[in-house]
Amino acid sequence: MSQINIQTKLGALNLQGQVNFANEVIIISGENGAGKTSLLRCIAGLQACSGSILVGEKVWLDSAAGFALPTNQRGLGFVWAEEVLLPWLDVAQNIQLGVAQEGKTWFLQVCEQLEISHLLKRKPAMLSTGEAQRVSLARALYRKPSMLLLDEPFSAQAPDIRARLRQVLKDMQQTLAIPLLMISHDAEDAKVLAHQHWRMREGMLMTSVSGTELLAADEHR
Amino acid sequence: MIESLFISLQLALITTLILLLVSLPLAYVLAFKSFFGRTVLEVFVALPLVLPPTVLGYYVLLLIAPDSLVGSAWSSLFDSSLAFSFSGMVVASVVYSLPFAVQPMQQAFRAIPANWLELGKVQGMNMGQTLRHIILPASKGGVLVAAALSFAHTMGEFGVVLMVGGSIPGETKVASIALFEFVEMQQQTEAAQLALILMGVSFLMLILVYSVNRKPLLGGS
Repeated sequence: MSQINIQTKLGALNLQGQVNFANEVIIISGENGAGKTSLLRCIAGLQACSGSILVGEKVWLDSAAGFALPTNQRGLGFVWAEEVLLPWLDVAQNIQLGVAQEGKTWFLQVCEQLEISHLLKRKPAMLSTGEAQRVSLARALYRKPSMLLLDEPFSAQAPDIRARLRQVLKDMQQTLAIPLLMISHDAEDAKVLAHQHWRMREGMLMTSVSGTELLAADEHR
Repeated sequence: MIESLFISLQLALITTLILLLVSLPLAYVLAFKSFFGRTVLEVFVALPLVLPPTVLGYYVLLLIAPDSLVGSAWSSLFDSSLAFSFSGMVVASVVYSLPFAVQPMQQAFRAIPANWLELGKVQGMNMGQTLRHIILPASKGGVLVAAALSFAHTMGEFGVVLMVGGSIPGETKVASIALFEFVEMQQQTEAAQLALILMGVSFLMLILVYSVNRKPLLGGS
């Protein structure tokens, strides 16, 4: 069981909430500026915040004790909403950036599942937005992270490939047995993937909305 | 004449190498860290840009004089004097060309997108790995400009090397000083040749700098 308990002021935003989660898929939704990305950045340690974060047995953050595990020791798989690929490295090098060795088989498997096997020698400038997004996902998965934090990872994907990617993420999350937190506005993502659904409003994190409740809420609006 | 050119080249080369090593940590902290005394450090680095070379030479001479702390330590270590020696000129040149190395590197570091640096952390890289795999490749152009400017600026020194080196033939008489002496002794041919060579070196270095600046080695879109 993991636990996040944060209350922190980030500019005009008052980010707060307390959530528990297991090794499961959590979909996070909410309006623009509600603090979804800030929440992911706090969990990653890219954004300083106060509170506590416990992942499994491991303390990531205990601001009362003045402790914060450095981001590079959290073993994250992180996908930004925007493209973050190093332009001088090819796709294969980008995916393996900073990772010592996870094995050729695993590498090929990840690339195949994300449908980028034919792109490995290309430079990022030669990729479409959708391809670049899948390369970022591959990079996050390849290092066998202890937690996946994805900021709208399917936003640039066509509907058919989006459906396949959902299945890939679902399988990967089970294979790696890790928490997967994903920001998404797509009700289908919640329906297919979510064990838990968190909603954010003006920095407030609210939990335990099931996929169907979300659908109802969205239809109601 | 050849001898003085050789000394100039040697001085410029050694100074450039030392400057790249010294400037890297300086540019790094100035670009990425905020700390008490940051502005003062920045001003000290920039001082040689506006200081009369004789003033700088005067202070370097004080610093390396045989009865000074640095000077006496040097002579007990190497059994030679630092003042009016080639090594003393290297010390002075490093100080004199410092801003020409630090500033292009600092600017190149600052131009790196914030999420490229975050990527290093997310992928588990430590500071050294981030420097090697992200920061330096991303600022290749800036480092090249720093090297070219340091080299050209050291080749063009006059006042500082005259004060610290003392124009000893075969040891500290560099090309720019030799040119001055040729003109004084009305050796027009030698003066013209040497001037043309120094002009050519500076021209080539600036061609390099401007072509690097036009074509951003940073890549990206």
